[in-house]
Order: sequence, then structure tokens, then C-alpha cells
Amino acid sequence: MQSLVARSVRTQSLRAVSARTFVSSAARWQAVPTEKPVLQKEFKIYRWNPDEPAKKPTLQSYTIDLNQTGPMILDALIKIKNDIDPTLTFRRSCREGICGSCAMNIDGQNTLACLCRIDRTPKDTKIYPLPHMYIVKDLVPDLTLFYKQYKSIQPYLQNDNPPAEGEFLQTQDDRKKLDGLYECILCACCSTSCPSYWWNQDEYLGPATLMQAYRWIADSRDSYGAQRKEKLQNELSLYRCHTIFNCSRTCPKGLNPAEAIAKIKLELAAE
Amino acid sequence: MSTRAVGLGPALRKAALSPRIARTPANVRSLLLKRSIQTESIQAADSAGILNKQRLARPSSPHFTIYQPQLTWIGSIANRVTGSALSVLLYGFSLAYLVAPGTFDSTHVIEFVGSMPDAVKYAGKAILAAPFAFHSWNGLRHLSWDMGKLLTVKAAYSSGYAVLGATAISTVALVFM
Amino acid sequence: MSSAFLLRSTLPRTFKAASGRSALLAAVQARHASTSTTPYVPGGPIIQGTVNDPTTFPESDRSHGSYHWAFERLLSAGLVPLTAAAFVTSGSNYPILDGILGVSLIMHSHIGFDSILVDYVHKRKFPILGPVSTWGLRTVTVGVLVGVYSFNTNDIGLTELITKVWHA
Repeated sequence: MQSLVARSVRTQSLRAVSARTFVSSAARWQAVPTEKPVLQKEFKIYRWNPDEPAKKPTLQSYTIDLNQTGPMILDALIKIKNDIDPTLTFRRSCREGICGSCAMNIDGQNTLACLCRIDRTPKDTKIYPLPHMYIVKDLVPDLTLFYKQYKSIQPYLQNDNPPAEGEFLQTQDDRKKLDGLYECILCACCSTSCPSYWWNQDEYLGPATLMQAYRWIADSRDSYGAQRKEKLQNELSLYRCHTIFNCSRTCPKGLNPAEAIAKIKLELAAE
Repeated sequence: MSTRAVGLGPALRKAALSPRIARTPANVRSLLLKRSIQTESIQAADSAGILNKQRLARPSSPHFTIYQPQLTWIGSIANRVTGSALSVLLYGFSLAYLVAPGTFDSTHVIEFVGSMPDAVKYAGKAILAAPFAFHSWNGLRHLSWDMGKLLTVKAAYSSGYAVLGATAISTVALVFM
Repeated sequence: MSSAFLLRSTLPRTFKAASGRSALLAAVQARHASTSTTPYVPGGPIIQGTVNDPTTFPESDRSHGSYHWAFERLLSAGLVPLTAAAFVTSGSNYPILDGILGVSLIMHSHIGFDSILVDYVHKRKFPILGPVSTWGLRTVTVGVLVGVYSFNTNDIGLTELITKVWHA
């Protein structure tokens, strides 16, 4: 109780000090902040509510002032959720493109909302969830199968002969082979941009999982490469890839799953 | 130890502000009993059933109708469509010749095509030459990818535009050949 | 089959009798609930197993994997010189070349059609239409092979036909 009172007194005195320093001149006291012009922008967002499952998914329109909003699509979504419609549902976390939560289809392209700038032209922006996924609510897709597929490629180091002491060592050239592969954040943008994954996602692994499969095949410290490759020797898991390139085109991290998959195919053919 | 360190600050403040009746343990218990929400106990195993019921109600999000038309996937489906069209023609003619060699022999076919007006001939040539040219050039692009070449987004795009250009030129050349 | 079913249906009850509401019982029931209450449909919203089970792979078979892929690429690569040769030669002067081109084109077409069927009407999703169309395609391809063979032997051959029709 005592500390509570003490704290409130302290903050009051602090505020008084800071206010005095800020309003130091009469001109500043009278100055009105320059108002930015209103820049209205319409966002059309995919909505579906699991509590009313019979209702078909719809596009709901929201108009906000871009000059009162941050620069990214995620800022707009948060503004809409805060100010207009708290029922709007989407995943977000880090707001800096490292968690992969806010992956969605913005103006026809899969990307992370936090890395996608708002187009400041008067044209409306359409936001859909990741394509051809089962929708939990609004912009939230069910990624269960995606994660189960990732698990199926055993995304961890496997080696029956660990070094007698210390860690596994690797040459710099071998380590370089993993660049462009290990940075994947599993946001599922690439897999859900792939038409092959749309039609056969229950069996075809999709670009994200296949690139991670290659990440472990390419790792010089892993001794299970042959087993990893043998699993892909069927018509569905890997060979539904027709080198369409949507995956690399859409990757918000600038990675190249199409190249990784092409390398798997070459390695399998060379065996 | 201060209340702040153990994180009890908010709770203590709330207790201090709340009406006197709710503070004795007996009153709290009776309030809990009187709450209006009805609960129902279910087995852990039932959770899967409830989840599956929700899953069955889920819609599938839109895909090719909303995806931005890009050279990547439009080019890919064009490769499949042009290839299929040419193969259907090959299959159709071969089967027709197998079934009725008298009507679909070379002399009849050439005669039939020769009797067409020039406009139809040129249109027909263009309709055949364009898919052939596209599928051939794009096939070379695919072969280079399978050999590990041109595997960047930039190279995929420049080679894609090159294929489109080569298709246009060779279509014109084939039509007037 | 029937003994396995009997075992599965009695197992939870035996556990219940032995240990009441054990965690083991819950685990066993949860594992069966997702598969037994709602049937799994390939590509449907219901998943196989629990969220923690990895997806499984089909049986590995290189003739559907890397051999198929490599054969298709070699065939396509072979079509490049064959097509170029067809432009500069005439089919009646080089009947063997014409025959190889015909067979290669048909195999290339067959693999292309087959990959369309695998993509869009695979048998796991279309248990009747899938196999019917695959076998239909195989039958038609055999017919086409016979047709092209007889056209190349009894008539002027594919290359010559295309040349003459083009200039008709």
C-alpha cells in the first residue's frame, strides 16, 4: 500500500517536469500540429465465422485513413481490429517478418502482412487467407497438415557416428550449402501458392517441406541422406512439382524452394 | 518483500477497492456456486470428435480465382494446355486413321485442306503453329531447369519473356513458311 | 481382421476396469476417435492420426520416382534433335527417323496425359474414375501406336503429311 502511494507521487512529479520542458516557448504552446490530409483506402477482407457455419464466406469492406495508420498491411489490419471491428480475426506476432504468423494472400499474392507495404493508390486492396486451405476463421487457415508434413521429413540431424568428443565439424564450403535453405520460417506462403499443392496437398509435400527435406539432405553432418531420398521415390511426395516457380516468386524471405526441389530431383536421378 | 516484487499489487488493489461483503471466504464460495454458467463434463476423447465436427464445417479458401496472374503459373498451365492440344490432335488423327484408313489417308486429308479458302488455311496454320512454338521453346526452358540452370526468379522471368518472344516470331515464320 | 476389431473394442474397457480414468485410457481413446468417428477422405478437412503424428509416405518405387522422371527428361531432350531433323529431312527419305519421331511423340504425349490424370483424377480421390481413365488412356495410346505405325508403313508418314498439309 505504501509503495503504491509513493509510486503515484513519483509519476506525478515526473510528468510535471517533462511538461515544463516541452512547452518552453509561447510559440510552441500555441502551435497546432499540421494535420495530414485524410487518405481513405478501402480494404476488402475475407470473412467467415465458425459460429455461423452455414453462412457462406464473404468479402467485408473496411475504409480507413492511411495517414492515421502505419505503413504495412498488418498495421491496417490491427487498426481495423482496434477501431472498427474487433471480431476480425488474423494471426500475427513479431511484426518484423521472422515468425511467419501473418502469412496471407494480399492483392492476389501470398506474403507476410507485416512485410507488405500498403499500396497508397485509391484502388481497394483485397485480403484473403492463404489459398486452398481449410479456414478456421477469417484469415486463419488450418495448418495442421502442413506441420505434420514438415514433421514427416524428420527435420533434425541424424547421424549414427557422432564425433568422439565435441560437436560435429563442417568445412566452410559445406556450411555454405545450407545458406538460403535454413532461413525458412515455415510461413506456408510458398506451399499455398503452388497449384500442385492446391490439388494434391494430402500427398504432395509442397515447396516449404521439400526445401527443408533438401536442407537435411544437403547437410554434410547428416548421414541419413540415402534414407531421406528413398522416401521421396514415389509419384506424389516430390514429383508433383512441375517447376511452376510460384513458390520462389512469392517467398517473403527471398528464398528459392524451386531451386532446392530441382536439386533433389537431380540428386535422385544421379543415384 | 514489497508487493510489487511478488506481483500481488493488482490483486491487493482489487481487494481493497471491492465491496466489503465479497471479502470473506464464505461469501466468495457462495458467489462461485451461484454463477449462471452451466458446465458439462466431457471425456478427453470427445475433443477429437468436437474438433472434427468443426473441421467438416470449414470452407476451403479461394485459390486460382483470386491468385494474381503471373508469368510463372500462367506459363506453366499454358505449357500443359498447348501440349495437350497438340497431343489430342495426334491421338485423334492416328485413331481416325486406324478406324477408317480409307477416309483419313494422306491424299484425302491434303485434298480437304487444299480445298479450303486461304483465310481458313492461314488461321488454321496460326492456331497450330502458336501452341507448337510455345510448347517447344518452353520445353527447352523446362529442360534447362531440370539440368539445374536458370533456377532463379529473375532467370525464370527473363527466360519466360524470351519464350514468349520466340513463340511470336516463330509462329509468324511458320505461318508464312 | 475380426480378432483385431474385437481386441480394439474391448481394450478400452479392460483399461477402464483396471485403472479407472487413467491417462492411458484417454490417450488410447483419443487416438481412435479421430479415425473411427469421422472417416478420412483424401484432401478433406479431417486429418489422419493426431496433430503430433507425421504424415506417412507411399511405398517407395523408383519406377514411379526418379526412373520415371529421368526417362521423361531424356525422352523430351531426344525430341529436340528429332524435331529439328524433321524440319530439314523428308519422312519418305528417312523412314526410320520418322518412325522414331512418331513413337517418341506418342510416349511424350502419353506421359503428359498421365501426369494430368495423376494431378487431377488420382485414384485415391476418384476410386472409380481414376483407374478407368488411366486404363482408358493406356488403351488409347496402344491404339494410337498401331495407327501411327500403319500410317507410317502404308501411307506417307507423319513428317511428310505435315509438310504436305502445311503447303496444301
